Amino acid sequence: MQLDLFSVFRNTADFNGVLFYYNGSLSQNVIATMGDALKQRLDSQDTAGPKARRLFSSFIEMVQNALHYSPDAPDSTGEKVGAVAVGKRDDKYYIVCGNLVEQQHVERIRQKIEPLRNMTMDEIKKAYREQLRNEHHSDQDSVSKGAGLGFLTLARDASEPIEYSLTPVDGHESELAYFYLKATV
Amino acid sequence: MNDIYLARTTHSPEVDFRFSENTLTLTGEAYPENANEFFHPLLIALESYLKFVDSRDIEFNFRLTYFNSAATKMIYSMFELLNESACTSNRVILNWYFDEEDDTILEFGDGIHDDFTALDYRPVAVDLAMV
Repeated sequence: MQLDLFSVFRNTADFNGVLFYYNGSLSQNVIATMGDALKQRLDSQDTAGPKARRLFSSFIEMVQNALHYSPDAPDSTGEKVGAVAVGKRDDKYYIVCGNLVEQQHVERIRQKIEPLRNMTMDEIKKAYREQLRNEHHSDQDSVSKGAGLGFLTLARDASEPIEYSLTPVDGHESELAYFYLKATV
Repeated sequence: MNDIYLARTTHSPEVDFRFSENTLTLTGEAYPENANEFFHPLLIALESYLKFVDSRDIEFNFRLTYFNSAATKMIYSMFELLNESACTSNRVILNWYFDEEDDTILEFGDGIHDDFTALDYRPVAVDLAMV
């Protein structure tokens, strides 16, 4: 990359309030290191208390989601890749995460997120409690590797409805889609 | 019944299960790569311990400041086991440490209290950032 292009890239990120950006291989170690860096960044901005914790929680849910559910990157040997940005606009923070998902899971993801976008905070908390008590989750959802609480946790910690998009990957339309997710805290 | 001690890492909590003293403590943050893998052995140990003790005062100190969604379910299962024991054979005191500013941890504790009424739930407000 030419230095003037890098300068444009940096300025664009700054202009959009980006505090933190990563694009590349995902692993638990990378996630833990990014989590630490994010905490330090928030500390240095004097953002503490509930907002910093909700932001950290959303960040971990999103990147672990990408790590657990994205298929291996095409032409790689078992590598999981993703992109994540954390930024600030006015007094709110946002996290955007992008990763590959299998095309066959696109409808399932949509059906999980879409209802949450129209729920009130009370309804989200109620659904969260119900799912926590649900003992049949692994029978009901064989794709899930967790407790079915991931998107509910994101919705609970957010101050605005979750935004998302799912678009087919050029040249791999039948197998892969890009999944973009945005949470605002 | 052997005690369990696991040191804290960036993404897993300190586990100090002193079965010999009937005192169980979790401290730190829990977002391991695989929550099942991390918590399953602890659940198994807890279950065997609870079968083994009778008419005791068991103290559980909950000092987690963050746990991800997968860990949440495992923690819930832990309290389910303790509640069953409290219904039949032991007294279980649950000291629930939470930061006064952190409504998420307190709300979760209050939910545990609602669902598992045999536990002697004692919320304790502290400044966990200082710990």
